[in-house]
Amino acid sequence: MKRQSFLGPNSDDLLRNTIVGIVGLGGGGSHIGQQLAHAGIGNFVVVDPDTIEDHNLNRLIGGKFKFVKRGKAKVVIARDLILGIQPTARVQIERSLWQVAAESLRRCDVIVSGLDSFRARDELERFCRQNLIPYIDMGMDVTKVGDGFLVAGQVLLSSPGGPCLRCVGVVTDERLSEEAAKYGAAGGKPQVVWPNGVLASIAVGLLMQLIAPWHRKAVASAYREFDGNTHIVRESPKWKSLEGRPCPHHPANERGDPTFDIRQWLEMPVIPPKKLPFWRAMLERISAWWAQR
Amino acid sequence: MKACLKIDGALLDTIRDDLRRPHEFAHERVGFVTAGIIALATGDLTLLARDYRPVADNDYLRDTNVGAMIGPDAMRKGLQLAYGARAALLHIHTHGGRGAPDFSGVDLSEGRKFVPSFFNVVPCMPHGIVVLSDTSARGLLWLAPKMAAVPVLDFVRVGAPYARFGAARLVG
Repeated sequence: MKRQSFLGPNSDDLLRNTIVGIVGLGGGGSHIGQQLAHAGIGNFVVVDPDTIEDHNLNRLIGGKFKFVKRGKAKVVIARDLILGIQPTARVQIERSLWQVAAESLRRCDVIVSGLDSFRARDELERFCRQNLIPYIDMGMDVTKVGDGFLVAGQVLLSSPGGPCLRCVGVVTDERLSEEAAKYGAAGGKPQVVWPNGVLASIAVGLLMQLIAPWHRKAVASAYREFDGNTHIVRESPKWKSLEGRPCPHHPANERGDPTFDIRQWLEMPVIPPKKLPFWRAMLERISAWWAQR
Repeated sequence: MKACLKIDGALLDTIRDDLRRPHEFAHERVGFVTAGIIALATGDLTLLARDYRPVADNDYLRDTNVGAMIGPDAMRKGLQLAYGARAALLHIHTHGGRGAPDFSGVDLSEGRKFVPSFFNVVPCMPHGIVVLSDTSARGLLWLAPKMAAVPVLDFVRVGAPYARFGAARLVG
């Protein structure tokens, strides 16, 4: 792309061959899909079990009132948005919890989370560490302070060996217990489009500097905080004390599948894909389309 | 079946720096990388590098016929590392330079001798050999002691920059 030439002579190919997983296509994740499509990322795995509802319209990029009436899946909205910008992109949609889509997510070069629940974010980060995949986490909250509110958020670029959500204090045992007491529901936290946009832009910037660095100080790990009242983004003060310290929560010996055994793997039969009768194949395609709509 | 090795950037830099150090008499240095494995639904395997153990200076043997000859103690230490962690063990060295490196005839003939013996200690994992250049890498992976090795053509450096390289894709 002509106006992105500063990303390097091979950047178009690098971006086209990159696979990005976006887990959670709400207020944060939908921005990510849109920006990465503009930036030229060629492959996406988008994961979300939900359909759009009227209360999502204040922040879901690509969301339209008519989709609410039809109960359109968020992953389908994201796919249509991406393909509308970049028709040649490959978008794999997974209308499920991310754990069900783990096999597809393993292929990703980078995974970005737009999840709300601390438990889910903690588990997704662990999955990424086990599979040596850089993970970008976004979080936003609105808190009542005195007579007013504080809008704040943070973005963590979490790479193998570097500080994780637990290291920076986003995931704590207290928060997990509090969430568990609500049966895992993150609750209807206030969310608005503009801080989500700021956080998503930071996340996209961090992702782009990993894949196509345009300066010599690209970073594998980063933690940025956004104060939505002053509109200032800064490096978290906690970060300085964590830099250079190995993460104690995700040791390197957890990488890989602990149950893998090459002897069993070699004995697994190679099953050729089943050839279905025409009517059955058509029926399955219609069922899959219906489930994903 | 395709095999891919993913390695975090800091670990790869450590390995390259270590292997570049001159030795008193050996012409090249050698080390061991342990790795976890993920089997993909496509039937491909991904090796995920965990740790690196250089061969100690005093574990090299004098042999003018090869770039580096390592003694039984070096092998034992490498195998101990893999056994304790239930990991794949990769013998690694560098040829320096740029572009996709090639194994020498000695690398291949020695690899065919010693890699199958790794299965005596860790039979549940595949094992192999890797040769680095300054910008790329090439590998061979044995899935069983009596099977022919399969090539590891894809390498991924996880870090900043995130880079795919190997026989098929070169960087730098």
